[in-house]
Amino acid sequence: MTETTDLNLFVRTSEETISEWNREKIVDAMMRETLIDHDTAAAISKDVETLIRKSGIKVVTAPLIREMVNARLIERGLEQARRMHTRLGMPIYDVDTLILHPNKENANVPHGPEATNLTLAERIKKEFALLSVFSQDVSDAHMNGDIHLHDLGFIDRPYCSGQSLEYIKRFGLDLPHSLSMAKPAKHPEVLLAHLVKFAAALQSHFAGAIGWDAVNIFFAPYLEGMSDNDVKQLAQMLIFEFSQQAVARGGQAIFTDINLYWEIPKHFVDVPAIGPGGKFTGKTYGQYEKEAQRFVWKLFEVFKEGDGAGRPFFFPKPLVHITEKFFKTDGYADFLDLICDVASDKGNTYFVFDRGETAKISECCRLSFKLDEQDLLDAKEPWRMRYCALQNVSLNLPRIAYMAEQDDTKLFNLLTERFMLAVKAHKEKRAFIERLLSAGEDGPLALLTMNRDGTSYLRMNKASHLIGMVGLNEMVQVHTGEQLHDSKRALKFGLKVLAHMKLLADRMKRQEGMRLVLEQTPAESTSYRFARLDLRYHSPASGRVVKGDVASGEVYYTNSTHLNVMAPMNPIERVTNEGLFHPLIEAGSISHIWIGEAQPSKGAIADFVLKTFRHTTSDQIAFSPEFTTCNKCHRTSRGLRDDCAYCGSTEVDGITRITGYFTKVSSWNKGKLGELKDRYRNMEYFTQDEEKKAAAAG
Amino acid sequence: MSAGLNFPVKGFIETSFLDWKDHLSSVFFTGGCNFRCPFCHNSDLVLNHDRLLDIPEEQILGNLRKFRKWIDRVVVTGGEPTLQKGLPVFAERLKREGYKVKLDTNGSHPEVIKDLVSAGLIDCIAMDIKGPITGYDRWCGTTVDRDKIEESIDFIIGGRIDHEFRMTVVPFLHKEADVYEAASRVGGAKRFTVQDFVPRNTLNPAFLSVKSFSPDRMSKIRQNVEGIMQDAKVRRTLHQ
Repeated sequence: MTETTDLNLFVRTSEETISEWNREKIVDAMMRETLIDHDTAAAISKDVETLIRKSGIKVVTAPLIREMVNARLIERGLEQARRMHTRLGMPIYDVDTLILHPNKENANVPHGPEATNLTLAERIKKEFALLSVFSQDVSDAHMNGDIHLHDLGFIDRPYCSGQSLEYIKRFGLDLPHSLSMAKPAKHPEVLLAHLVKFAAALQSHFAGAIGWDAVNIFFAPYLEGMSDNDVKQLAQMLIFEFSQQAVARGGQAIFTDINLYWEIPKHFVDVPAIGPGGKFTGKTYGQYEKEAQRFVWKLFEVFKEGDGAGRPFFFPKPLVHITEKFFKTDGYADFLDLICDVASDKGNTYFVFDRGETAKISECCRLSFKLDEQDLLDAKEPWRMRYCALQNVSLNLPRIAYMAEQDDTKLFNLLTERFMLAVKAHKEKRAFIERLLSAGEDGPLALLTMNRDGTSYLRMNKASHLIGMVGLNEMVQVHTGEQLHDSKRALKFGLKVLAHMKLLADRMKRQEGMRLVLEQTPAESTSYRFARLDLRYHSPASGRVVKGDVASGEVYYTNSTHLNVMAPMNPIERVTNEGLFHPLIEAGSISHIWIGEAQPSKGAIADFVLKTFRHTTSDQIAFSPEFTTCNKCHRTSRGLRDDCAYCGSTEVDGITRITGYFTKVSSWNKGKLGELKDRYRNMEYFTQDEEKKAAAAG
Repeated sequence: MSAGLNFPVKGFIETSFLDWKDHLSSVFFTGGCNFRCPFCHNSDLVLNHDRLLDIPEEQILGNLRKFRKWIDRVVVTGGEPTLQKGLPVFAERLKREGYKVKLDTNGSHPEVIKDLVSAGLIDCIAMDIKGPITGYDRWCGTTVDRDKIEESIDFIIGGRIDHEFRMTVVPFLHKEADVYEAASRVGGAKRFTVQDFVPRNTLNPAFLSVKSFSPDRMSKIRQNVEGIMQDAKVRRTLHQ
């Protein structure tokens, strides 16, 4: 037996030490991490030792040894053990690139040391998720682009959330493991500080957006007796605080939605209001209408002014809910004028349409849902209104169409298959999150398990599981030969596909007891990723339908159920036809109207908004202008330009809406840049007479 | 060929947020113009309109009807619509279907304008002022009967119809003082809008390289114009 060795070799370990060679460590690792027997482990370790001895190498790294062991595991057909023994990490070249160059997957991530940390961590967690959280078929489907598991780098957090200001008003800022505990705020400025800090704490526990319900209404009891100027100051602080929080996680701004109302919605009218010190004021929110209106008015005045350089604020995103009651509330016409003025001038306003009697809240990134009976009971104690979505999985719809080869049965079968895979992915993520939560306040998600009102902060029974779709337009194009806007037939087929998905969602909801919800995926990078992967796996068919420019690689699929962005289409037709899909998609949908450099009158926008509410089933619209901001003179002009309109400098950045938020064009990925070039901005149509044109040319 | 081809429409915007203040409207473009303003940004409609297809009137009206719940206003623009013999008939059809009609014109045909107004066929009129009247030949790149322009201005200001005058400020062609002189001429008007010049598709390609005034300068000009219009309003009230 030559168990020990005189091998004169040193190993650089991952604990930043240099150890002498010890073959037993290989055996230990295999025994600890995999299920193989000791003899096999010992045999492999000897093989590896022999190999290293022969090579004459003097210093090896632990990762290298591990990979050599993995190679032996594969030779012996021990694939399962090899998976369990995998080491996660990145090549040195990639790390170098990452540190030196910006990441364009998400335009909300700046480039800097914090951002690099985030990306590095995300890479490892992503690999971990694909190897360890999800089953092989789910992971493979993600890798090859059949489906997309969003925010895998945030595998150990829920996806997005909707919050209530009432929670911190009532309980103060009392977070697990924090250095100090703050009692409920007595002054509006303090409440604002609590809000911002809590938002930052939440950002580090969720992957995506943090939405806040009825912000102006819940602030109202604190505003009594304040002068208009002070209210304006508070509005300014709120907006700047959220737009300048680019110092938090990964240097990302907190993706914040604030939901706003002109009226007090029915479900809050008789709710006892909480005021300074967390005490009930003795009044109901219905009695604070004027204060709530004063605040929302001032917020929009600030949005109208823009930031110090006259740019639109990127965050927070203001979502104004338009309900039937809106039109019965005094002063609505003036307020509509103001928010339309902001829409035209800066583009910030999101118009959310809550028709009929259903109450809705927008919980985060364009995700809104209807309040059910239990939710309406919760509304009486609004601090309970905390919602989240655990994960978002999108289906690559065009891929299904390539594979279905124009056969309807095949197409719907494949769609069902992919949908089930998405459901499986949700169950796996949910199980993982439940494991993390089970450790309670000593676990990694302590904040989400804190219990101040009888239930844990994150209400798992209310959690949604989102299933999104990318490229319905291209799916229909491959399958029927026509795009959604080409004919009624194509549009109908698109609706049929969505109806099928809705049916599946409802059926699986009952079967699995999970809240499964269809969502219009923003798909900022997914529409690019799917298009690229399909060009690789499904050419030449994919080359005929991907949008953008194949030669330059600026390719994309049309987002969710949207119509082709470049089709010269009347905005009325766009919101009407896109709106047909919205009732099928519970998690808030949107239509974008790209207005480019034009600056429509607020009256015309108000006219359009009103009629969209009355004559369509659209859930939400936003108008997107374009800007050029100068890095030299720090001023902002209209339209995407090569130089500054004020000083002529070419050190400029374009700004416009990427998907659900404004950002600098220079940070966009290639797919989105392709889309930007294509966006139809409501221009006039002319038809050239080809014969006469040819004659003139000849 | 469809009926009413005396009014050939060359292009349209089904839903415009821009062309009728505070309202949605549909816009129709006619081909052909009697002016040759070098800065014109619709040069195809002026020079090459015979190469653009006519859109049949039935298609136009059919499309409009589709959006009846949304749009009840139509803007007729050009080119120069008053050159079209079929304009009154077309306007009448629109009025019969219940639309409000706005005419965009350069003011070279006051008699057409007067007929339309007295027949009640238009609800709003927007006339371009190319610059101070004395320099019209220069602004418009052709010989212009200035009396007609004056006649149109006086009729529009004096009439009971909703109206607006508009001037595009073109650096190199116009001096700042030209804008104020033009504003003074239409001082009694309801509105005088100063528009930015955009160096795109210009009739005279040389104007592609003309840079528009900076936003600062434009807002100063707008402010001064506003002052001139206010003064005129005060003077008018004193007169009454």
